[in-house]
Amino acid sequence: MNLIRMKYTRWFNISRDGISRNNPIMIAVLGICSALAITNRVENAIAMGLAVTFVIIASSLIVSAIRNFIPTKLRMVTYMVIIASFVIVVQLVLQGFFPDIARQLGPYVGLIITNCIVMGRNEAFAVKNPLKYTFVDGLTNGLGYMWVLVVISAVREVLAFGTLLNYRVMPETWENWIVMTIAPGGFFVLGLLIWIMRSATKNYEEMAI
Amino acid sequence: MSEYRRMIIFVLVLGVFTSALLMGVQALTAERIERAAEAHLQTTILDAHDVNYTAANFLEVFEAEIEIRELEGLSFYVHTESGGVSILFFGFGVWGPIEGVLSLEPDFETIRDVAVLDQEETPGLGAVITNPDYQALYVGKSMYPELNVIHDADPDDPNEVDAIAGATRTSEAFDTMLNNAYQEHREVWMAHHD
Repeated sequence: MNLIRMKYTRWFNISRDGISRNNPIMIAVLGICSALAITNRVENAIAMGLAVTFVIIASSLIVSAIRNFIPTKLRMVTYMVIIASFVIVVQLVLQGFFPDIARQLGPYVGLIITNCIVMGRNEAFAVKNPLKYTFVDGLTNGLGYMWVLVVISAVREVLAFGTLLNYRVMPETWENWIVMTIAPGGFFVLGLLIWIMRSATKNYEEMAI
Repeated sequence: MSEYRRMIIFVLVLGVFTSALLMGVQALTAERIERAAEAHLQTTILDAHDVNYTAANFLEVFEAEIEIRELEGLSFYVHTESGGVSILFFGFGVWGPIEGVLSLEPDFETIRDVAVLDQEETPGLGAVITNPDYQALYVGKSMYPELNVIHDADPDDPNEVDAIAGATRTSEAFDTMLNNAYQEHREVWMAHHD
């Protein structure tokens, strides 16, 4: 019993779940839509990662704070309303303060509402756990999402544009890979990354016989 | 029954709380969003006329180089040095409104630049209208008597531009909104500058 308890109440255990052991993209394979769509430039990936991290933390904290008042039948609706509100907040702030990034991310900011990671953390963690653990869980899941996005976009931006964070890193003779600017390029990079990570961590799905 | 009442109260409280949050953020950002949209329009017009500017001085450059003429309720953004004119176009695409700037040479017929400010078309298909390579196809074409955005356009015909493959409805909508805006503005412009 003590063992199980410890698993949920140690910040490093929760952190390791979000960042590596149960990484939302590479292990749970959630949030793939945005991971493919906006990872053609590193700055977009960072902005999207921060936006999603903020939405996960904020919505998880609210859900955790009111978890004893949420009627069981209204659980999902409550998550949706809270998540949608924070996504609109992110959208307005981006449009007001970072209009260029808002334009490049386009519809994908609004689509954070349907990002499975956010709702997944609310239902799987926030609704059953106290505030401080929820905060760690939200933060680390957001960061787990963000670092994968940054890695994918770093590979794609270098190959697709010869730049990294808009600084030229490839020689002038570099031939841009058009495939990397579009979603299929993201598929290749993400697929390879998941393969490498799962091989390295020996994380295999159980074989169905 | 008491469970039912609890649910209603909960929904009401949640609604009030989230509305208050959204209204607060809206009040804080509304002015900045408007200013950002204005700045985007101004820099787009400056780009169309190949004017150099920096993020810090675009407002002064815009006021010095571009003259806004209001004629019969329509706005014409005239680049005083070259005589080129920019007009705004607006219309409905497949998923939502499309807004942009059409810039013309001093003859008010030849296209100098096409730029899209705002759109919600399908990424990778209709959203190609925001791609500079696609917009470059319009440069040098003539809006008079009419511009046709069609498949298999003849590159030598000054009134034909290639439509986007896989986005026929966006292309048609784009064709319509460009021509509507042009005809509307042309009448007024010609009446004042024969």
